[in-house]
Amino acid sequence: MIADQHDNSKPVIELIDLRKIYRVGTELVHALRGVTLTVRENEYVAIMGASGSGKSTLLNILGCLDVPTSGEYHLGGQDVSKLSQSKLARIRGRRIGFVFQSFELLPRTTALKNVELPLRYTRARHRRQRATEALQRVGLLDRAHHHPNQLSGGQKQRVAIARALAQQPDLILADEPTGNLDSTTGEEIMAILDSLHNDGQTVIVVTHEDDIAARCQRVIKLRDGQVVSDERRQDTPDVPSNPQPVETP
Amino acid sequence: MTAARMLLSVLLFVPDRLASAAGNVITALIQIWANKIRSLLTVLGIIIAVTSIIAVVSLVEGFGDYVTNFLRGLGTNMMVVYPEWLRGPRGEYLRPAEMNIGDIQAVDAHAEAVRQTSPVIWLQGQVEYGRQQLTSVDIRGTNEFFQRIRNFYPDAGRFFAAVDVENGNSVCVLGREVLRKLECDESIVDDYILIDSQRFKVVGLLESKGSFMGDNQDEIVVIPWTTALKMYPWRRDYLAFYVEAVDEGQIGEARNQLARILRERHGLKPGDRNDFGIFKQDEVLREFNNIRMIATGVLAGIVSISLLVGGIGIMNVMLVSVTERTREIGLRKSVGAHRRDILMQFLTEAIVLSTVGGAIGILLGYAIVHLVSLHPSMVKATVPLWSVGLALGFSAGVGIFFGIIPAFKAAIIHPIDALRHE
Repeated sequence: MIADQHDNSKPVIELIDLRKIYRVGTELVHALRGVTLTVRENEYVAIMGASGSGKSTLLNILGCLDVPTSGEYHLGGQDVSKLSQSKLARIRGRRIGFVFQSFELLPRTTALKNVELPLRYTRARHRRQRATEALQRVGLLDRAHHHPNQLSGGQKQRVAIARALAQQPDLILADEPTGNLDSTTGEEIMAILDSLHNDGQTVIVVTHEDDIAARCQRVIKLRDGQVVSDERRQDTPDVPSNPQPVETP
Repeated sequence: MTAARMLLSVLLFVPDRLASAAGNVITALIQIWANKIRSLLTVLGIIIAVTSIIAVVSLVEGFGDYVTNFLRGLGTNMMVVYPEWLRGPRGEYLRPAEMNIGDIQAVDAHAEAVRQTSPVIWLQGQVEYGRQQLTSVDIRGTNEFFQRIRNFYPDAGRFFAAVDVENGNSVCVLGREVLRKLECDESIVDDYILIDSQRFKVVGLLESKGSFMGDNQDEIVVIPWTTALKMYPWRRDYLAFYVEAVDEGQIGEARNQLARILRERHGLKPGDRNDFGIFKQDEVLREFNNIRMIATGVLAGIVSISLLVGGIGIMNVMLVSVTERTREIGLRKSVGAHRRDILMQFLTEAIVLSTVGGAIGILLGYAIVHLVSLHPSMVKATVPLWSVGLALGFSAGVGIFFGIIPAFKAAIIHPIDALRHE
């Protein structure tokens, strides 16, 4: 039943036999050895794996920061695996929202200006308004004119989430979003990501913490550059964006 | 994207991007303000260069104006003819050549391009009035045409007349500086002073002309040349004289004519050197232009060295800045910044940095010009607008030239490496 629902919603990400080989000195490192998976709209996915499992490489490719050595990556139906740097920058700006472990806010720049940053690079209109809405979404409107050094860690991460949301991206990619936070604050941040998911946003979280992964609908585990398990959790309350019409018996 | 395409995108900086350019300028100003001391030290070279441009250009221009005015005040169609020193066979100086009133009268009579001549005897003497005593005052023995030829008129009393010259009367006209040093006012007119212990009646006071290159033109006493010769008879064979041409265009002709007459009277053979010198205004101008060229050369030297040093400083600090802000570059790229966005950001920062230096230099230059102008014997110097434009242009140019490499380096950083940078 749940599987059916997912099959019917639009795929956001389709990876087909994705491979990435690095050259480190004279040695070739196979970071990804043929990853094939599909993430559909409004899925809430955790990617787990030990260090060296290839999860960072996968995240970089998913975020269009890097291109695969071979294989295909379709983002929202468009093959982005062979695009130029310039086109990738465009896609990062318009379709992907990053949330980093260490927030990566610009110092000496207000929360609002930080949120506006992606809008500036895509030359979007109504930047101020859209940034304000995004800040409101994470409940930090009253801190709009504070600088990052006046904000707590949790508030910084909320600003960072607002920045990821500002562009209304196809996909939010969170890389260890609670890694630099204490458990209470981490809980707050995860609650925000949960609510984004509930509002229909596609969210991918890279983590090594089981409790974080436990909140997600789907957990993908990587080892040695390959997917070793891909489980959908049955008990996660799920609010699908395209509810199936109830079949009459 | 290749280097050529990046360059092209810089050149095709369409108005659409003006808003983001303004954003870059603000970012740059914030960045510069965050590193105040570092930024200040960085732009020191630019500051020195621009200060020198403003100060030197303004002072040279001020002198230029002054020289022009001075020459106009001198009478635009005037020359001075004076006896040269005779030279021995090895080029050593022997004695002054002779020139007497006969020579002057011959020039007056036969040179058609000459309107008027005025003999002149330069003396240094002692002036006494009451208990005041001045030594080494410039005393000029001349005739009544002096005022016209030198464009130097009395504004109180009168100039001495032709009859005073004819009779060798003991009358004199004083410059304003002499009056000031004698500590008296215009009531001195019709009173008597002592010049080298001889009684002279003061008949008039000359208008003020100001000083030229530290030489106060108002410190002067003018007496009839005939009277001067009575006091110093040996000077009669070593006279100099002012010549006024009929008009400005005839100065060259007047010069040729008087030279021919004097050479003939002095019995010079073709090929002999003139035994007299002729001083024209354009020689003052040539002299001044030499000074101006030297000043400009020194300026160019200072400016190019300090711009080079300043430029290297900017390049260095921008390279440091790029390294320091690698993570920021990674973040900007991850939220959609293109290479050209990063390039423009850092290039703007370099340009803003050097232009701020330029602006400080302009202010300092203004201050120096103002301070120097406060000195009483200094010419009036104003900062020409074009020198401000030139200075700003130079500093922005240095920003572009030395900022492009660091900006390029920032632009090509790979976002993954940048985000991983510690």
